[in-house]
Amino acid sequence: MRQGLWNRLCWALALGLCLTLASVALTAQQAAGDVAVVVHPDVPVDNLTLGELRRLVLGDREFWPAGVRVTLLIRAPIAHERDVMLKKVCQMTEAQFRQHWIAKVFRADTAVAPKIVYASQMALDLVNQIPGAITFVDLSQVGRNMKVVRIDGRLPGESGYILR
Amino acid sequence: MTVELGGCVGRRLAFVAALSLGFCAPAHAGQGTPAGQPVAATEYPSLRLSGFGNIDFATQDRTEGPRGFSEGQFVLHWVSALSARVNVFGELSFSPRPDAGTGSPSATGFNAEVERIIIRFDQSDQLKVSFGRYHTPINWWNTAFHHGQWLQTTISRPEMVQFGGRFIPVHFVGALAEGSFPASGWNLNYQAGVGNGRGGVISRGGDAGDNNATPAWVGGLFVKPDRAFGLQVGGSLYFDKISLTGQPDFRERIFAGHIAWQREDPEIIAEVANVRHEAVGGISTSSNLAYYVQAAYRLPWLGALWKPYYRFDRIDIDSADTVFAGVSNLDGSTLGVRYDISTYAAIKTEARLRRRVSSQPRMNGWFFQVSFTF
Repeated sequence: MRQGLWNRLCWALALGLCLTLASVALTAQQAAGDVAVVVHPDVPVDNLTLGELRRLVLGDREFWPAGVRVTLLIRAPIAHERDVMLKKVCQMTEAQFRQHWIAKVFRADTAVAPKIVYASQMALDLVNQIPGAITFVDLSQVGRNMKVVRIDGRLPGESGYILR
Repeated sequence: MTVELGGCVGRRLAFVAALSLGFCAPAHAGQGTPAGQPVAATEYPSLRLSGFGNIDFATQDRTEGPRGFSEGQFVLHWVSALSARVNVFGELSFSPRPDAGTGSPSATGFNAEVERIIIRFDQSDQLKVSFGRYHTPINWWNTAFHHGQWLQTTISRPEMVQFGGRFIPVHFVGALAEGSFPASGWNLNYQAGVGNGRGGVISRGGDAGDNNATPAWVGGLFVKPDRAFGLQVGGSLYFDKISLTGQPDFRERIFAGHIAWQREDPEIIAEVANVRHEAVGGISTSSNLAYYVQAAYRLPWLGALWKPYYRFDRIDIDSADTVFAGVSNLDGSTLGVRYDISTYAAIKTEARLRRRVSSQPRMNGWFFQVSFTF
């Protein structure tokens, strides 16, 4: 009787452990593919809607609430962060994105095109140095001292986060 | 590079790399920067130059424009930041002249024109104030593509905004305030301006000054809702007094509207403009209407490089309107396809079927263009 109870307890513990490990693995896998939106520490924004983020990335919004000009730092083509940004935020192909910005500057809508960065570390260094800067970085590269903005109320790694 | 090195040295190298490589990348492609340096270290003025060009071929059964090969416009565009909030934009075009070499002194081969020169102060997203020579913000196409033929899907512009056309005032010299508000995701934009209006030749703006004491006013509103990304809907008004030699002055009122869906699957653009002229002190009013509808679709196959399109143009001119004497009516269809040979160059070919006068036969033509940006 006591032996049967002990067996059941062992099985329950093993099952719980497996479920916990699977859950952790799944979360880690999701988080690894998530792209964080990182801004300069002084940017007075903690949350952006997807529409607001799209307006920033496409140059329709050029200033933060405090009046600081937005500086957009974007990874070079082929980077995972750029692909996610184009697909999920801009809903554009690479060619469409390039044409959009050529037209944007030609229309005199803005004089400042995005700046290209070639590595995650470069993006993180610059986003901390340039007032008003915003960039996209793989979550695994983001340090604790970085200011990560919520998108539609969700942080990278959370369920329902869109930039993955 | 940085990841491998890590630490302080890596970060410094990353910053240097950003200065020397990333920030000096080509201005096009939405990658480079006009400044070439981070905001904190930007030197002013910073100049960035780009350009557009096109080579055309046309064959027509009746002459309306050039035949055979022709050089299109060669357009230079520059942007210069004078400070973090003050920018200068310019557009200069060179157009081949059919009368080159004739006259005394002989006409030059190309006509140079300052299409736009604008200095703008950006206070915020809600308020940007500028002065200069603009493409009048009374028409969507006029301010979306300017003289960049590569930017537009088709070879030809809609008839109501043809280069040198008279239906709407293409250029505007004056001051403009503009801005945008989030408006709960509707993204409401406004434009309001005052300037010289049409010159003595109504196809031209008053570059050297107004030819009467009444300024032209222009205002417009449009929305770009977040929920329908790619959509723009708006309308605009324009009021002016036109002074022509040997004619009474006319009050001009223009009411225009547009809808543009710029996702390429599909692309739909439609505009309408009503131009009213009323003799000052008179009682008669003439009303002229123009509109066009354009549809295009980027085919998803074959690398998504092909984009067929169709446009219908119509212009109805009031025969009693002396200001528009000589401006033709039009019923026109344009059917063509665009092929993007690279990210920055395109080949377009289109057929145009046009009828100016209902009692006369159509004018048909086939056109070909290579357009590019650099």
